[in-house]
Amino acid sequence: MAQSPIVRPAHRGRATARPRRVRWQRLVGRVATHAALIVIAGFAIIPLLWAISTAFKPDGEIMTSQAFLPRAPTIEHFRVVLNQTAFARWFTNSLLVALGTTTLAIVVGSLAGYAMSRFRFWGRATYGNMLLVVQMFPGVMLAIPMYLLLTRYGLIDTLWALLVTYLTFALAFSIWMLKGYFDNIPREIEEAALIDGASRLDILWRITLPLAAPGITTVAVNAFLLAWNEFFFAYIFLASNENYTLSLGMYSFIQQFTTQWGNIMAAGTLTTLPVLVFFFVLQRALTRGLVAGATK
Amino acid sequence: MQQGWSVGEAPRPDAVRRHLRKEGLAYWLILPSLVFLLVITFYPLAVGLAEAFQYHNRVQPWATHFNGLENFVQAFSDHDVLLSLRTSAILVVGIVGLSYLLGLVGGLLLNQNLRTRGIYRALILVPWVVPPVVSLISWQWMLNDQMGIINRTLLALGLIQKNVLWLADPSLAVLSVVVVGTWFRFPFMTITVLAALSAIPDDLSEAAAIDGASPPQILRYVTLPLILPVSIVATLLQAIWTFNDFGLPFVLTGGGPANATTPLILLAYKEAFRRPNIGYGTALAVIAMVLMLILGAIYLRLQARQQLYEQ
Repeated sequence: MAQSPIVRPAHRGRATARPRRVRWQRLVGRVATHAALIVIAGFAIIPLLWAISTAFKPDGEIMTSQAFLPRAPTIEHFRVVLNQTAFARWFTNSLLVALGTTTLAIVVGSLAGYAMSRFRFWGRATYGNMLLVVQMFPGVMLAIPMYLLLTRYGLIDTLWALLVTYLTFALAFSIWMLKGYFDNIPREIEEAALIDGASRLDILWRITLPLAAPGITTVAVNAFLLAWNEFFFAYIFLASNENYTLSLGMYSFIQQFTTQWGNIMAAGTLTTLPVLVFFFVLQRALTRGLVAGATK
Repeated sequence: MQQGWSVGEAPRPDAVRRHLRKEGLAYWLILPSLVFLLVITFYPLAVGLAEAFQYHNRVQPWATHFNGLENFVQAFSDHDVLLSLRTSAILVVGIVGLSYLLGLVGGLLLNQNLRTRGIYRALILVPWVVPPVVSLISWQWMLNDQMGIINRTLLALGLIQKNVLWLADPSLAVLSVVVVGTWFRFPFMTITVLAALSAIPDDLSEAAAIDGASPPQILRYVTLPLILPVSIVATLLQAIWTFNDFGLPFVLTGGGPANATTPLILLAYKEAFRRPNIGYGTALAVIAMVLMLILGAIYLRLQARQQLYEQ
């Protein structure tokens, strides 16, 4: 360091003392940051961890033990849930509704999103705002009349009723999200293909959609989660046990098993498993979707 | 194409034809979504609005008749409704306020150069992906007064002498719903605050630091004002979602004890399906909807202004 010898003596005392204090302060800051984050993250995952822990404990241990790890882990509760309840049936129902919702949300959403992005049709702004406002309706405002209508048309207690309802709720997000992605794809690419004689729909299908792949993933994740996790409309629409989705089945368990927490938590663990896998594989898409709501 | 219309047809103005030629495909593209929206949202909405002005009880369907504003007049003098509005307000303010605070702390902590940031972020997102019914039942189990882990731990630590009735005591039940609601809502706040924070260029706070601002001063005068627009929009959205949340009180407490945790949404459901007073329940839902539309209008306003500001 080319410092002038005159300044050096004055500077020296601080130069040796200060970095040490700064380093120490930084260390304390780091430890405090991690401690605080561990507390927050712990708060976030404790209900899930405790559910999984309970699921693997034998009944006696559930009543007496506060330990997180089961002393004598058992899969008895899972066996009860899979063999003595309609869990497998509910799982299939949930999967059908969720996959149907996801597929349709992508197809219907990309068509409308493309229109919103590339065309200046009449009522475009109104349509976009209408989609957003619909999201803010309280579910109960739609659920009561829908219950009356579905009963009248004989569609109550069917998975179809749930599918179209979830699709409609997923549409606003799908359309706005995909519009945003389409906006960022240069029109020049499409115009080149247009000159080559491709049709508009061809272009959307072959060129624009593949380029908007991250947007499609986000839309898919959002639609799947919405359908898989939804409870209220399933509770209103579905009546017979064989038509239940997983959320509704879980809820019926608290009535059926009342204090058999091991069985209830085993079912909860199995219900959560698919979304957790989904979550860790597609975490970035999830986060994108989450942020889009407030910042886009 | 240009000579496509024959003599009998009224020739449309040029502008319409040009518009349709250029943008016509768009109407076909939005058609499927429009059909779903009309059938699944607007048709039921119209039916619901009509119901709200009727006396309609499913136990005596023959007595159904138009009764004007009677349902609404009744609602505003109904003790249960006023109580539920108060509960809704407490839940919204408590949950949104706490989850924003926690999200702000979490966002600020995560906005540092941490190697383990991805792990923390993933864990904090867990409440958002776990099916709500599952986490609500798990909370119910943890809050159970006889065998729940919370009471047992507090007893073991000597912090309480006898079991606390987390879900059976009216005011503690409200507190429990607020805490569990915060647990549901804070991941969104954290991620949103984090996104807003990482959009702030580093040189701003560096410049403030060079000018001699202390870290709290930088937070107060640089960081917070910059994330304010996003914070307001996120808070508003969360307020709407929290107000509309049916599962939280329904699964956790069933609205009890003695209606202490029954917000307006849950009361509307109970009136319509348990009483089963469809007309009155729908009228309560209409009141809820009007309240949300006001918040929604503010949201759209702010959102539009924010986009303007970003450009």
